[in-house]
Amino acid sequence: MNSQSDAPGKAPAPSMRRRSFLRSSAIFGAGAAALAASLKPLMDLEKFTSTEEFLQKHYKEMSPADMAKVLARISREVEKQYDVRPHVRDLRPMDGVEFVYALNLTRCIGCRKCVHACVAENNQSRSPEIQYIRVLKMPHGSLDIEKSDHNYDPEKVPEKGFFYMPVQCQQCENPPCVKVCPVNATWQEKDGITVIDYDWCIGCRYCMAACPYGARHFNFAKPSIPKERLNPEMAYLGNRPRKIGVMEKCHFCVQRTRTGRYPACLEVCPAGARKFGNILDPESEVSKILSTKRVFIQLKEELGTSPRFFYYFDV
Amino acid sequence: MTQAVRNYITFLTRCARIAFVGDWRYYAWMGLLTAIVLLGINAYCKQFVHGLIVTGMGDEVSWGVYIGNFTFLVGVAAAAVMMVIPVYIYRNKELHDLVVFGELLAVAAILMCLAFVTVDLGRPDRFWHLIPGIGQLNFPASMLSWDVVVLNGYLLLNVHICGYLLYCRYCGRTPSRWFYIPFVFIAIAWAVSIHTVTAFLYVGLGGRPFWNSSIVGPRFLASAFTAGPALIILALQVIRAVTHYPISDKALLTLRSIVQVSMIINVFLLINELFKEFYTGATHVASAKYLFFGLHGHNALVPWIWTAIVFNLIAMFLLVLPVSRSLKWLNLACVLSIIGIWIEKGMGMVIPGFVPSTLGMIVEYQPSTNETLISFGIWAFGLLVYTILLRMAVPILQGRLARANEGCGVLEDGLPPKVETAIEAH
Amino acid sequence: MNDPKKIRLALTTLGVVFAALVISFSLDLWGRVEPVRQLPLVDEEFLQPQTWRRSYADLVKKEDEDELLAFSCYECHEEGKKLELTYDKDNHVVVPDEHENIVMGHGSHGRNNDCFNCHNSENLLVLQTRDGHSLKFEESTQLCGSCHGPTHRDWEHGSHGRTSGYWDRSKGEYHKQDCVNCHNPHSPKFPQRAPAPRPNHLRVNPVATAHFGESNTH
Repeated sequence: MNSQSDAPGKAPAPSMRRRSFLRSSAIFGAGAAALAASLKPLMDLEKFTSTEEFLQKHYKEMSPADMAKVLARISREVEKQYDVRPHVRDLRPMDGVEFVYALNLTRCIGCRKCVHACVAENNQSRSPEIQYIRVLKMPHGSLDIEKSDHNYDPEKVPEKGFFYMPVQCQQCENPPCVKVCPVNATWQEKDGITVIDYDWCIGCRYCMAACPYGARHFNFAKPSIPKERLNPEMAYLGNRPRKIGVMEKCHFCVQRTRTGRYPACLEVCPAGARKFGNILDPESEVSKILSTKRVFIQLKEELGTSPRFFYYFDV
Repeated sequence: MTQAVRNYITFLTRCARIAFVGDWRYYAWMGLLTAIVLLGINAYCKQFVHGLIVTGMGDEVSWGVYIGNFTFLVGVAAAAVMMVIPVYIYRNKELHDLVVFGELLAVAAILMCLAFVTVDLGRPDRFWHLIPGIGQLNFPASMLSWDVVVLNGYLLLNVHICGYLLYCRYCGRTPSRWFYIPFVFIAIAWAVSIHTVTAFLYVGLGGRPFWNSSIVGPRFLASAFTAGPALIILALQVIRAVTHYPISDKALLTLRSIVQVSMIINVFLLINELFKEFYTGATHVASAKYLFFGLHGHNALVPWIWTAIVFNLIAMFLLVLPVSRSLKWLNLACVLSIIGIWIEKGMGMVIPGFVPSTLGMIVEYQPSTNETLISFGIWAFGLLVYTILLRMAVPILQGRLARANEGCGVLEDGLPPKVETAIEAH
Repeated sequence: MNDPKKIRLALTTLGVVFAALVISFSLDLWGRVEPVRQLPLVDEEFLQPQTWRRSYADLVKKEDEDELLAFSCYECHEEGKKLELTYDKDNHVVVPDEHENIVMGHGSHGRNNDCFNCHNSENLLVLQTRDGHSLKFEESTQLCGSCHGPTHRDWEHGSHGRTSGYWDRSKGEYHKQDCVNCHNPHSPKFPQRAPAPRPNHLRVNPVATAHFGESNTH
């Protein structure tokens, strides 16, 4: 390709051309074979998506008829995969309701029952493991989470000299994760819950980088849930089984709380450390807590995220 | 009109054909790159089937070499502007004909960026959600949506400018100023914007104190304007050696002064960052401590960052000293600064932002075999694209591939004979 | 430079490289994907929402007639006879062997040291407050509240204690547990218990687990 020769063009001899043509064809053939062989892992591809799912519209753009079709599809897919007929609903926020969570740090004993009740309720993957709640063991006298221990495993809890702080999605009033999503796959609803449309998420994990609470989790592999542990009571924006490659997070159990029930983590807490309710109702438990307790904490308050999750002490 | 289209198609066909012929070095080089691309494709197929679990990323470090390389390459793409500015603003003659090479590098770099972002996606099948109109681009709230806009815009700008100039040269006509000069000036501003936006991607995250620093943007630009032109200096010498395309040492030395100044600024900004982090010693210093000295026995990044700092410092001294007027030393300085800055952007910037995690956990990151192969594959793909683009552009600029010699057959080097009527100026 | 021999050599090498790639891709020689590690399922016991203990009142209410007898004080005690307590030399009440399951540990001050602070010495089927009111066992929470005022106020608001069911009372039932469903009245401090399994992280380097406990808790 460096030839400086300005000699007029002369076609090479036909035999030479034929040979070089054969040679190039052989190389191209070998290259094509190598390309084909390189695609071999695709043979293990199980159903990745369907035309219906691929073309599905954004949650907010779906008509009731669209949504009915989508719910039917999800129901069909779940039944096929788990042999369980689910009850999938699209639950919308209730009027005049804004949810707030309050957690009593004086009471939490660090037993992690909430972690596992949440997994069971919300159909999280068991292998690899996804958990929405992480309980931090903290030395008395400090709220510096860089001093926390996530992996404590003593024979008995609580241990002397420590307190326990469960952290999950803080349902921020000013959620950094929502702002950064490039495709509006996550948003805050009017009851304060930040939800994800698992069928719209592209899996860029920007929200994971943006969340200051480690609350967002990514399906690095295909989620696996044993059939007998599947919770068939499902919501579109809630606990329906997720697909590989999408984000998920705590949604205050929309499938329960939007029908008036308490979230699963609250119901299982043996210490009664977890409190939940409608902050717009002055008689609700959380309203009473926020008006009577002197000290409560919004985690990483300095970031201006304004969590709807309050930690308080019995003072 | 139809004639124009037909002419253009002939142009494209001839360009495409030329990409498949060359001397033995061309075949060896392209073959090597193709093989690496295939390795990458194979690894990506595994990732596509099994998910990102095949990478080294996880809940704590959720971005890795893909985004690290993406960030570095955005810088390389932005740096193409460093050649455009002297030519169009200061009317530097030496660099004039070389601008196209820089812009083609930008095209290749942007394609690599887009590839790196795509392989990082958990659901690449849903890429259309990003397309405004049919999808839901969260613009202007999300910095990633800005990045989608500016990167694709930059790609189009550069493809237009290069494509137009080359096609005019091919046709032997003088390019109409109105058809490209405005775009050149837009591209200059745009180049700064692509790297600023990429910096803002990190800077905007209040929950990651290591990134949440206003110096990240300037540091990105300074390091990009070091590594980018350094890469161009090396690329131009390869082009000169392989094609005998006239490239003067003076042009290379002009680029040297750009690298020189940028590297000094880059090191200065690094010192600023280090001072702020370590002198204050607030709790947020954890990530920086992890990066530079290790934290609680975790020190995977320490050797990398010190290598980068040593390389950058050596490069800076070489560039400042007159020895780097000799190409041998200049090349050494360029190689050192490219490696140094590549480390600084990936291992030194993206990963420590995740360590310790937002909940104070320290999990170290190490790219997996497949992840590494995918990254190499994308680099090879980018070099393949750049080589092909040069393979087309050089003969056009030399006047060897022109409308005038259509249908003249080819010489044994795969090019048609030169026809004297092809004009040289543009 | 354009030596046909060299071109041939380059292309042949390329052909060999491609062939080698075909073989190694078919055999999946590197970067083989390991199956996802299957983690054990958590013991279902950790998923149960019941309180860890049941109060006497609840037990009596729920069991059927025959078994109820086993819980009746007058199976053993003589009805109408006033009970006498004995104290050791440190002035601690001596719990009779028949009540060996009772550990006297109400408060760390040791002052709540008399069965009849709460029980009625003449009628074992009722409780009594310090000001002499009689309460049924189902009303024990009021008795607790007679000393623990602020906690009782919190309990009334729902901010202390276990609740379950419906936060929205218009939609369904709401339950609030009595103190003694979680606290043992004789020794109310919450007992320690085994925690549920720790998280299994997708990526943990060996160093992390080794150093974590000590370096991150001091």
